[in-house]
Formats: sequence, C-alpha cells, structure tokens
Amino acid sequence: MPGFIDKNRRYLVVLAVFLILFWLLTLQVKAGRFTVLERPVLAVSGFFERIIAGTYDGTASVVQGYVLLVKTERENRHLQDEIGRLRLENQMTAEIQQENERLRAAIGFEKLNPPHSVLAEVIARESSPASVTCTVNKGSSSGVERDLPVITSDGIVGRVQAVLPGTAKVMLITDPGSTIAVRVQRNREEGLLEGKLDRCALKYVSYYIDVQQGDVLVSSGLDGFYPKGLPVAIVTSVRKHESSSFQTVYADPIAKLSRLEEVLVFRK
Amino acid sequence: MKPAAYIGILLLLLPLQASLLAPLSRIGLAPDLGMAVLFVIGLLTTPVEAAFAGIAIGLLQDAGSASLLGLSGLTLGIVGLVTGLLGQRMLDIQSSSNVVFLAVFSLTGSLLTVLFLDVLYGGFPVLGPFFVRMVPRAAATAFTGLLILRFSTRRSVLPMIRRRELQKER
Repeated sequence: MPGFIDKNRRYLVVLAVFLILFWLLTLQVKAGRFTVLERPVLAVSGFFERIIAGTYDGTASVVQGYVLLVKTERENRHLQDEIGRLRLENQMTAEIQQENERLRAAIGFEKLNPPHSVLAEVIARESSPASVTCTVNKGSSSGVERDLPVITSDGIVGRVQAVLPGTAKVMLITDPGSTIAVRVQRNREEGLLEGKLDRCALKYVSYYIDVQQGDVLVSSGLDGFYPKGLPVAIVTSVRKHESSSFQTVYADPIAKLSRLEEVLVFRK
Repeated sequence: MKPAAYIGILLLLLPLQASLLAPLSRIGLAPDLGMAVLFVIGLLTTPVEAAFAGIAIGLLQDAGSASLLGLSGLTLGIVGLVTGLLGQRMLDIQSSSNVVFLAVFSLTGSLLTVLFLDVLYGGFPVLGPFFVRMVPRAAATAFTGLLILRFSTRRSVLPMIRRRELQKER
C-alpha cells in the first residue's frame, strides 16, 4: 500500500483536488455561487478586453472610414433630407406630447418619469458552456451598480453581475442563474422566466393557465430587479403533460442577445 | 511548460476568447479556446501538469463567467489529465488526426455540463443544442486546436514554451 501511494502520489494529489472541486460545487448548490474570484478576474480580463476591443474598433473604423469615404457625399445629402423630415416629425411629436400631458393632467395621471440610464458598449462576450455573460465598458465610475437591469430598445438583456470602476459584467437572461418575474402580456398571468443557455423557460406555470405560442412576456417588477412592463421574451413552445400539474413553456428573448453592441444600464 | 508561458496563457485566454472570438459566437462557431489550448498542453507535457493547467484554466473561466466556481475547473482538469495520458501513448503528437480526440472532449464536456445543469436547475433541452450548438462548437474547437498544435510544435516555438527537463525526458 505505501508503495502504491509513493508511486502514484502526484495522481492522488490530482484526485484530491478533483474531489475538493466537486465538494465546492455541492456547497454552491446549497449556499449559492461563490464570487470571491469574480472581481480580480474581471479586473485583469476587463483591462485586456478594453485594449483588444479598442484596437479592433480603431482598426475597423480606419478601414471602414477609408472604404466608405466615396459614399459619404451621397449619404450626406440623404441625411440632410432625413434631418429636415425628422425636424418636422419632432415638432409634431412635441405637439402630441403636450396634448398628452394636458389630457393626463385632466384625468389625474402621474407624469411618467423614465429612469436614468447609462449607455454602455459591449466590449466582450463570454461563451462558457455553462453560462452566458458579456462585459460592458461602463462601471461604478459611471454610476453602474451590481444588480441594475440592462436593456436595449428591443427589451431586457440581463442584469449587472460584477462591477469595477471602468467595466461591468452583465449576466444575460439566458444564463442558468438568471430569473425574472414576468407576466403574459395578453392575459396578465404571472410566472418566473429562467435562463436555459440558448433560450428561456417559464417555470411554475400551472396546467390550467392559458399560455399560447407567440405570447409576449413582459417584466412584472415583482422580483425587485427589473422595472415593470418591459418586453422580455416571446413564447415559442408550450407542452402540456398529462402526468404533471405544470406546463413546459419555452421562450426566446426579444432582445437580440447574440448581436449586442450597445446597451442601456438603468440606474435607480 | 515554462511558467512564463502559463502566465501568458492565463492572462490572455479570457480576453482573447471574449473579444476576438466573440463575433464567431453570432454564427455559433466560437471555439472553446481554453480546451484547445489545454489539449496542446496535455500533448506537450505530463498528465499531472496538464490536469493542474486544466483546473487553473477552468477556474479562471468559471470566475470570469456566471457559472458555478469549479464546474469548468473540474471538467477541464479531467480533460487535461486524459489528454496528458493520451499524449504519453501517442506515436506522433503532431499528427492532425489527434484533434478528433479534442472534438470528442469538447462534445463530452458540453454534454456533461448541460446534464449537470439539468440535474441542478431542471428543464435543460439536450437534443436541440447538441446539433445546433455543441457539434459546431466541437468542430470549431478541433480546428482551433489543430492551428495551435501546428504553431506550438514548430521548431522555433517549441523550445520557448517547453521546460528543458521535459525536453530531455522526451
């Protein structure tokens, strides 16, 4: 026996480390994910990601600028026309807004205040087999905090997972750790939307609740993270099992998560 | 391998994967750079060294993402150990056909991860992502592994990354 141990000592050390890692995993299942290494790793990787993204964007813009120079004059003329049209539309919108405010005041509605937001650029996208996250170029120095919601014009993207002064890591809604309280827009039924790597799944939907393919899911605001009423996902498949009291409902995110370039971080 | 090579790998792996290879993820062809690098490390070093390299790379990936700390560490640690054992038994580590093993490791790793997540959270589809995401990823990882293997086994590069005592052992 001692001979065996001496001969295979290095392999036994490896086996011990494997067992420790497995034990760590089981601990996290109960106690939640450990975030000890998160900030140091984000600091180092964020630094290099900013350099790489900056170099890539700089080179791309120089090449693009040179190639597109020929088209600029034609585009410029087109844009001048567009500006004229938009100015006209803007004046009309201002009129409509004033009318809307007068009507709201008349029926006693509160004025809608859009929350403050920070525009951030996606500089990296991590594609681990077990999670879906991205890194943005704005951090605590711009007012970004942990757990703030991140959106695009299409809908909810995810929420801030870790923050440093100039960088933040965003956990996307398809990440297995992501959960959003949602409502079916059509009939206001509630559910919990969980990430399933490629898509999302609506959890705890009773067999008798009416959910149909094509239904739009909006945030209900009940989770305390996301503002109420933002579009989140569209139901793509609904399966009812006779043996279960719940339905299996899958949904695809409305925001194009694979093509994220710029996002808004909602500040409280 | 030389400590400087490991430091370089650990510093640059995540940023390279997340920044330069991110456009490929739009078409589902982003390779697992960590596994590809680890495969080459496994072929060029010993099983124990490759196992620890796998654990380090995996823990780094876990900390840099939102997954449970140790999930990739454990997966890549096992891959490193198996690749190291494989490398000891291979007649020609530079052969292109070796990357078939890398494709198999990538596929197995992805499958095990999804099965683990299914046990943990439930409701993870396996069949759909297998053809849409896992197989293309395994193919892209194998191709990347082949490029890294070709580059690192060049006569001018190998002495820069390999420890002298290991070169003597071989």
